[in-house]
Amino acid sequence: MIEFKNVSKVYPGDIKAIDDVSITVEHGEFVVLLGPSGCGKTTLLRMVNQLEELTEGEIAVEGNNIQELNKFEMRRNIGYVIQSNGLFPNMTIEDNVMVVPSMLGWTKEEKAERFAYLMNLIGMPPEQYGESFPHELSGGQQQRIGVARALAADPPVMLMDEPFGALDPIIRSRIQEEFLEIQRSLKKTILFVSHDIDEAIKLADKIVLLKDGKVQQFDKPAELLNQPANEFVAEFVGEDSVLKSLSLYTVKDLLEGAPPTEGAAPDASDAIFEETASLRSVLSALLTPSQKNVWLKNNEGRIFGPVSAAQIESFVHRMTVTA
Amino acid sequence: MNSKAVIAWVVKIAFWALIVLFFWWTISNNMFSQLLENPDQFFGLLGRHLQIVLISSTLALLTAVPAGILLTRPKYRKYEWLLVNTANLGQTIPSIAILALAMGFLGIGIQAAILALYVYSLLPILQNTIAGLKSVNPSAKDAALGMGMTPKQILWKIELPMAASSMIAGIRTAIVLNIGTTALAYLIGGGGLGVWIFTGIQLFDNTYLISGAVPVTLLAVSVDQLFRLLQFFLVPKGIRLAQKAAIQSA
Ligand SMILES: Nc1ncnc2c1ncn2[C@@H]1O[C@H](COP(=O)(O)OP(=O)(O)O)[C@@H](O)[C@H]1O
Ligand SMILES: [Mg+2]
Repeated sequence: MIEFKNVSKVYPGDIKAIDDVSITVEHGEFVVLLGPSGCGKTTLLRMVNQLEELTEGEIAVEGNNIQELNKFEMRRNIGYVIQSNGLFPNMTIEDNVMVVPSMLGWTKEEKAERFAYLMNLIGMPPEQYGESFPHELSGGQQQRIGVARALAADPPVMLMDEPFGALDPIIRSRIQEEFLEIQRSLKKTILFVSHDIDEAIKLADKIVLLKDGKVQQFDKPAELLNQPANEFVAEFVGEDSVLKSLSLYTVKDLLEGAPPTEGAAPDASDAIFEETASLRSVLSALLTPSQKNVWLKNNEGRIFGPVSAAQIESFVHRMTVTA
Repeated sequence: MNSKAVIAWVVKIAFWALIVLFFWWTISNNMFSQLLENPDQFFGLLGRHLQIVLISSTLALLTAVPAGILLTRPKYRKYEWLLVNTANLGQTIPSIAILALAMGFLGIGIQAAILALYVYSLLPILQNTIAGLKSVNPSAKDAALGMGMTPKQILWKIELPMAASSMIAGIRTAIVLNIGTTALAYLIGGGGLGVWIFTGIQLFDNTYLISGAVPVTLLAVSVDQLFRLLQFFLVPKGIRLAQKAAIQSA
């Protein structure tokens, strides 16, 4: 859990980067700090592990006021991932990942076991990559190692500053999904910086939208999209907020809400979406001129459809009213 | 093989041919006679030469490396320009002038020579230490700090290993220059192999000149090679491989 109480930060030169922020990130919650460049996201994040000093207010991590903790010890208990991975080129991948456990005095066996676990978690075989060096890996692999390194000592809290920001869109999207999968099983308390609203909607349990160091809205993604608190939020989420909110729902949600009729056999050229696919991708398929019919398939293998754009429209209307 | 590689080979072969020719010429004209006939005197001069080099460059190393580390710490960064410029001044003044100045302080003799060569060796080491430490990726340092490393741990485990290549190159340059410049120590009564070199010049006697100059050159070349070897062992494997990969992809 991370609690911010009336937190402000003024940089030399009277630059007010953070202005009276009070929010709480609950245990196991994935919170994304969102906002335009220069709005103070990085500053707010770096105040949690005391890379930036507080000017005013109080921050507590897992119930402890950070200013009463030893800086170095508290940082070893918090995972930290940055955009340009920050791997150490002089160390092997195994040594990189095991930096914090080494500082904490883990035995060789404990470290080897943990390394193997983490590498399997991020889908990179330990025996293949353990002795490699960072420069031998692709950008996506380096960022995966950055995540594994932050998870090394199993910290309850993770701070991530645009960790996937430098990756190309296809790799980024894949790593986001992998990371969500990992988070579903590990249930870390995560504070994650992003300037990309699509990324925030995809990942966040809750979003903090910042402007000039002030919180504009702190809410679930659906609420941010459907009930913007002010003009700035409405503008930031954009006119296509309804389309964006479609990424929040999956085929499963539609099948549970208002399923299309069951039956019929799809053609070979038809599209079939599984339960986990987002409604955004389903609608996208529906709007593709060359696409014939679009079907939905549940986990038991039953086929529903063909689905129409109107059915998705009425589903969305229902969700935005109840949200 | 591309044309670049062919040219490189031709140059290399021509270079070694010249060296062989040179030694054939000197030996067949008995130009090493001083060295062969007065081995005691030779070893005396060589010992003195090494003494000056060793003491002055060790002192320079012990000053410039810590100074370089200190000047890249946030607290002292503002003094960097001052010290580098001072050291720069030491380098721009001709070596003979430094020797003369040192003699003004300490009179003639080995101490003055050591002082002058010490001052002369500071800059390459200082400059390369600072350049190496500055080249360390800021995001690596930020990540290290964020993971809970202390500044001391960051220096020893991240910064120095990553700066090692540049630092060793600076030390190598300083010592190799030092070996050559020590030949001038003779001028202020510091002794060393410069004694024979200058005697050779004054008397127009090649036997003195060659018996002094060739050992100085060989000394410089072998120390240079020794440091290249050292570089191989002291620069972390990851950095070495990354540098190689960067060169190959360029
Ligand atoms: N070290 C610093 N010194 C002075 N101003 C800074 C410093 N770091 C950030 N700022 C300023 O604080 C504001 C917020 O910066 P930052 O937290 O990096 O924003 P973001 O991560 O949202 O892009 C910006 O106006 C930036 O210029
Ligand atoms: Mg930022």
